[in-house]
Amino acid sequence: MVQLTPNMPYITLRVKFVKRAELQYISHLDLVRTMHKIIARAGLPLWYTMGFNPKPKMIFAAPLSIGTESECEFVDIRLVDRPPEEEVLRHLNANMTENMRAVAAYYPETKLTDLKWLRYRIAVKTEGASEALAAACAEYLLGDEVLVKKKSRDKRSEEQPSVNIRSGIREIIAGFDGECIILDAVLSADASAFLNPEYVVSALRGALGILSSGNLLAEYYSVLRTEAYREDMTPFD
Amino acid sequence: MEQKNISSVLKSVEKPGRYIGGEYNRIIKDKDSVSCRFAFCFPDTYEIGMSNLGVRILYDVLNRAEGVWCERVYAPWEDMKGKMEEYSIPLTALESTDELSKFDLVAFSLQYEMCYTTVLSMLRLAGLPIWAGERGEDCPIIIGGGPCVYNPEPIADFFDLINIGEGEEVLPEICALYQEMKGDGSYTREGFLRRAASIEGVYIPSLYEVSYNPDGTIREYSPRYSDIPRKIKKRIIKNLDEAPYPEKLVMPYIETVHDRIVLEVYRGCIRGCRFCQAGMVYRPIREKSPEVLCRNAKCLYENSGYDEISLISLSISDYSRLPELTDGLLSWTDDARVSLSLPSLRIDSFSEELMRKVSSVRTGGITFAPEAGTQRLRDVINKNVSEEDLLRSVGIAFRGGKSNVKLYFMNGLPTETDEDIAGIAALAKRVVHEYYTMPKEERPRGVGVTVSVSCFVPKPFTPFQWERQDSLESLERKQELLKGFINDKKIKYSYHDARVSCIEALLARGDRRLAPAIALMAEEGAMLEAWDEYFDYEKWLSALERTGVDMDFYTTRGFSTDEVLPWDIIDIGVTKQFLLRERERAYEEKTTPSCMEKCSGCGANKLGGNTRWCN
Repeated sequence: MVQLTPNMPYITLRVKFVKRAELQYISHLDLVRTMHKIIARAGLPLWYTMGFNPKPKMIFAAPLSIGTESECEFVDIRLVDRPPEEEVLRHLNANMTENMRAVAAYYPETKLTDLKWLRYRIAVKTEGASEALAAACAEYLLGDEVLVKKKSRDKRSEEQPSVNIRSGIREIIAGFDGECIILDAVLSADASAFLNPEYVVSALRGALGILSSGNLLAEYYSVLRTEAYREDMTPFD
Repeated sequence: MEQKNISSVLKSVEKPGRYIGGEYNRIIKDKDSVSCRFAFCFPDTYEIGMSNLGVRILYDVLNRAEGVWCERVYAPWEDMKGKMEEYSIPLTALESTDELSKFDLVAFSLQYEMCYTTVLSMLRLAGLPIWAGERGEDCPIIIGGGPCVYNPEPIADFFDLINIGEGEEVLPEICALYQEMKGDGSYTREGFLRRAASIEGVYIPSLYEVSYNPDGTIREYSPRYSDIPRKIKKRIIKNLDEAPYPEKLVMPYIETVHDRIVLEVYRGCIRGCRFCQAGMVYRPIREKSPEVLCRNAKCLYENSGYDEISLISLSISDYSRLPELTDGLLSWTDDARVSLSLPSLRIDSFSEELMRKVSSVRTGGITFAPEAGTQRLRDVINKNVSEEDLLRSVGIAFRGGKSNVKLYFMNGLPTETDEDIAGIAALAKRVVHEYYTMPKEERPRGVGVTVSVSCFVPKPFTPFQWERQDSLESLERKQELLKGFINDKKIKYSYHDARVSCIEALLARGDRRLAPAIALMAEEGAMLEAWDEYFDYEKWLSALERTGVDMDFYTTRGFSTDEVLPWDIIDIGVTKQFLLRERERAYEEKTTPSCMEKCSGCGANKLGGNTRWCN
């Protein structure tokens, strides 16, 4: 018979980390697997779930989609002890790679669900990029309707109807650096209204025809998550 | 990647994580301070290649060598290959992202025949000539190795150098020779290959001329120079305890096929199944000690964070010190929440104790390989397991809470009759019946038996190497016949595409005259043919026809025992006399005891090594 023991009490450790360069191509699921190995190697006093197949418990805030880099990822990890923060940070970094670094480890006062807004830097190298096109992008994204066709989970199904994503856009500042259109965007990170920056790019593609030449070496874009905020736009940590 | 921004390309393909490298524990060196750059290529996807133990071992060994930097290269998936061709993006190594032409030595690990066209496609994507004879002085030396090269002949013309046998010692010796000749200025392509030919375990195909008889069989192999060995002797590691074993593993970000710690417990096999090439070419048997294995395991665990250790070898339960090993590992693995798994269990060694100790046995599916449906045919192939063994083992599994069992068989074995096919169905039925001998309250679920049948390929260096392969029509008839015999809904039946087995036989048994067909396949886009979706039988038939190859000559023709076989140029230690003796015993339906019971004088002991059962 399975012995039912109450779960041990736990302490939540929060790790803020960066995930950059080629690691943008790692899916969230693979990031989770990778983090499992990192915390195992780092020798943290992990809390395990009960049952036949005990696993450590980790919760990630606002999972990244493939193609997005980040300077502000958060993961909460359950521990059975409270090792000093600097020591945890050192052990984690000793087991990470150059493009995935822990920048802070601490015992948080906020909940991950307090994270409501995320800032992104979206750089678009497209044919016809100019100050004027940048301004048009900002104008469209701050207008009444920003339409995208959301990808259906079922690849075989008919295309989904267009959805207005405007309510997920809080701030847009657009500029042109001589080569790329640079969008500074604050988008919703709320669990119920999370807006993937990929949709911002595809809305612009649909409305303004950016990134439509079909030449994958001539046109490209990058997305970098730079800052996290609470509801009142104070920094989340 | 610095040269071109390929981010849009990576965003447009499936699983871009295959192409990025950057893993924990991968090895980066300063390219200006190394004197030999080695690209280790695996002609399949990243997920398959990263799981390969041989690659893991040799990556470690080569990077330990002075002045050598070994990097990894995998085949792109079809979508990525298309983009690489469209945008002229060359194939690069993961560590440095340099293209293959920047390397000194480029080696391919050949694990299965169906990877040959992938090798050529990778060379093409790298912009390197596929024919050894067309490579210039500045071109990297292209090396082949792995289990397929025990008959290297169909691909011999594509390789400058072939490593016959285990690579841990040979590859660093090849690098050292290269470094020496580059260092003292004596390097020329031809001079290097000529000197490399005298390293034991090295075959330089271009130094041999092959002539043929009027009937198409081989007349002889003639070395072009008198100081070139007439036969290439397989190289082995004599003492595995003293051989290097990786302390760190490159940790993939994306999920790979075998994403766990792998411990190689021994090399070789004591059994001698007559269809099995691995059982012959890896002789003599060499075991590692439990002490060394436990040390390897602990070290790899600390450096990886994996929560699973897999013990591998051809037949793990034949390891003479298995209880010591599992006890040694279990002394810490349970507390560390690390599980043990055994991928290969023999029917006659399955026990309640193993079920208790090994979590993969506890939680995973159970697979047994009787290989043939009747005792007669099992004796012919020297499988040495009986129906009682099987029923006893499935009984233990059922009583231990299992309700699904998978059984592996082969069609097309020598002497097979329809009675043997019927025997497969009958055996599966008796397994189902075994489940119902348990009291009703002990069987909460319905029972499921899966019968999986592959097609026999007569492989080089086995007692069946002279046998003809069953024809495609006959194999397909037998597959249908068995379908008719299975009339129980609790038995699921699956079988391999017989057409793949025919091409495998062709490539396994072929000679140098196949090379133009393989090259033509690659030119016309063949790649990743080990994947069902990319295997194209009609395309093969067309390529063979256009290059004048008669497939039946290599597959359905029995080879005569006095003809020169394409692989006679290789000496694996096991003698032809032994293989012939075993062939005779097969026809007499006589089994041969395992090495542990009695030495059969196979000849492999002349290679040396700590061969505890050899006379």
